[in-house]
Amino acid sequence: MSEQLFSLRSWPRAIVHLDGDAFFTSCEEAIHPDLKGKALITGGERGIVACASYPAKKLGIKRGVPLHEAKKICPGLIILPSDYETYSLFSRRMFDIMRRFTPDVEEYSIDEAFADITGMRRALHSSYEEIALKMKKEIERDLGITVSVGLSITKVLAKVGSKYLKPAGMTVIKGRDIAEYLRDLPVDKVWGIGPATTNYLAKLGIRTALAFAQLPENIVLKKFTKPTVEIWHELRGKSVYPVSTEEKSSYASISKTKTFAPPTSNAEYLFAHLMRNMESACIKARRYSLAPNKIVVFLKKNDFSTAGSEAKLSRPCAFPLEFSDIIRDLFNSCYCPKDIYRATGVVLLNMEPDTNIQYSLFDNPLQAEKIRGLYNVADELGQKYGKHTLHLGSSHLIDKLGRGRRGSPTSREQTQFKGETNRRHLGLPLLHIKL
Amino acid sequence: MPTYSEMLPLLGVKAKSAAEYWIKKLLEKGTLEKDAKGFLKPAHLSLKLPIVGTVTAGFPSPAEEELRDTISFDEYLINNQAASFILSVTGDSMIDAGIFEKDLVIVEKGREPKNGDIILAEVDGNWTMKYFRKKGKKVTLEAANPKYPTIIPQTELRIAGVITAVIRKYHK
Repeated sequence: MSEQLFSLRSWPRAIVHLDGDAFFTSCEEAIHPDLKGKALITGGERGIVACASYPAKKLGIKRGVPLHEAKKICPGLIILPSDYETYSLFSRRMFDIMRRFTPDVEEYSIDEAFADITGMRRALHSSYEEIALKMKKEIERDLGITVSVGLSITKVLAKVGSKYLKPAGMTVIKGRDIAEYLRDLPVDKVWGIGPATTNYLAKLGIRTALAFAQLPENIVLKKFTKPTVEIWHELRGKSVYPVSTEEKSSYASISKTKTFAPPTSNAEYLFAHLMRNMESACIKARRYSLAPNKIVVFLKKNDFSTAGSEAKLSRPCAFPLEFSDIIRDLFNSCYCPKDIYRATGVVLLNMEPDTNIQYSLFDNPLQAEKIRGLYNVADELGQKYGKHTLHLGSSHLIDKLGRGRRGSPTSREQTQFKGETNRRHLGLPLLHIKL
Repeated sequence: MPTYSEMLPLLGVKAKSAAEYWIKKLLEKGTLEKDAKGFLKPAHLSLKLPIVGTVTAGFPSPAEEELRDTISFDEYLINNQAASFILSVTGDSMIDAGIFEKDLVIVEKGREPKNGDIILAEVDGNWTMKYFRKKGKKVTLEAANPKYPTIIPQTELRIAGVITAVIRKYHK
């Protein structure tokens, strides 16, 4: 691939992609050592496999397989409910370990991150390969889970690398070796190339990543959209996507959805969940000092179709009490007593900073200020005792009829230490070991 | 600068004319000088400090003087944040070390144990918390309770981590 030797430097950039191996089940194995090496899946409450351990994968059980099928394949399969609390703790720690080596870490998903280690060789007294390897080994040592690592000169190539050898693998793709790794890679396995682009490429007779990368530039520019062109560049070793470390400082929209079991047509119970969603979404908005201009309410039926409705607020507002009548109207326009619903959801749109909001002619500023004061107290109590300590009466049915939780409690939830509540736990993962 | 009346007790004299006499002497000496408007001011200070503004008089609060940087319990108890886990204690094999059933211990994974450390280990398939004793190449696990014998690993010993702290709450 001589066309792509655009740079004579062997490492114009050094980007690491780190990927947890069977992340959820690996976390479970780390806190339940007796489960190590067993056929194990998480996601029991959803009826499908969310994550399968490598022994389970070997039996053909992987993500998306329905539970009853999995049990048929492996009658002795261990099925666990998803313990997001623990997975989040592991995830954050994994990224913190990566930050021991460089501040430029981009958290891509709960179990994947990119790290830009360009220029760190002198500071860390190591080659790029050694840095990537140290990162991997420290995570494995400190957390007790395995990760696979790809090191290359662009993000897309780093991702190719991390997938190349799994589990617990490390693949380094140097500029001059790119062709080797793309030769047998199906084009749909490239990050960013979806089914539509894959089909289009197939029509052009292009099925491997290498064939795609070797297309002449003028053809690529003519036939493909900007995102695909960018991937073409990245595959050829030209870095287009930087590793962006930006923490969320603001949100364009906030949404909260809650799926519950069993599905129901009880209007008041559904409305209670909806109000709870709205309160959660607004708590988040207030935390970032934002207020929405538009709200959307939707209900998901048992057949997975959704009915939704939206409304524009008279002024940006993040206090559900002020527009609870609007929420009620939106709910009524979506709800049909004949249908059975499995989820409620809200979206807050067109967010604005919540300072200096002008009251309109029809507002009651005194009332509004009282409500603002009320929510200040609610937020303070929420900080101390947990979210929703103080909540609107319309969501009280949740306390009465249950949260509609799916599946059994996680092993973490079954253990509560002195001073902990249902909502507030110590921030360390709990080892489930009987001495 | 103090006024002439204020100067009288300072200089230990009773008449303004006496104060004037001493001011003249200080002017001659060069300790005081007159500014453009004819007012008295110190000629130089032994410490050349710029006067940048007024300072409220008063005594510094003793509490403030003694303030150090505070550390939270998290920082105090946890050494390697990313590698620390909690474990609820079962059994009484370490009671003489002050670790009782239902206590919370902090386990630091990946830490190399030193002789005398309390470790969490899997010995021949069973999990246990014991003192790590190393003499040369020989490793034994010692309990802190005479009821329990010292363990000598037969087939395998897997060290999960070192106990770095034990926590016991008496009230909620």
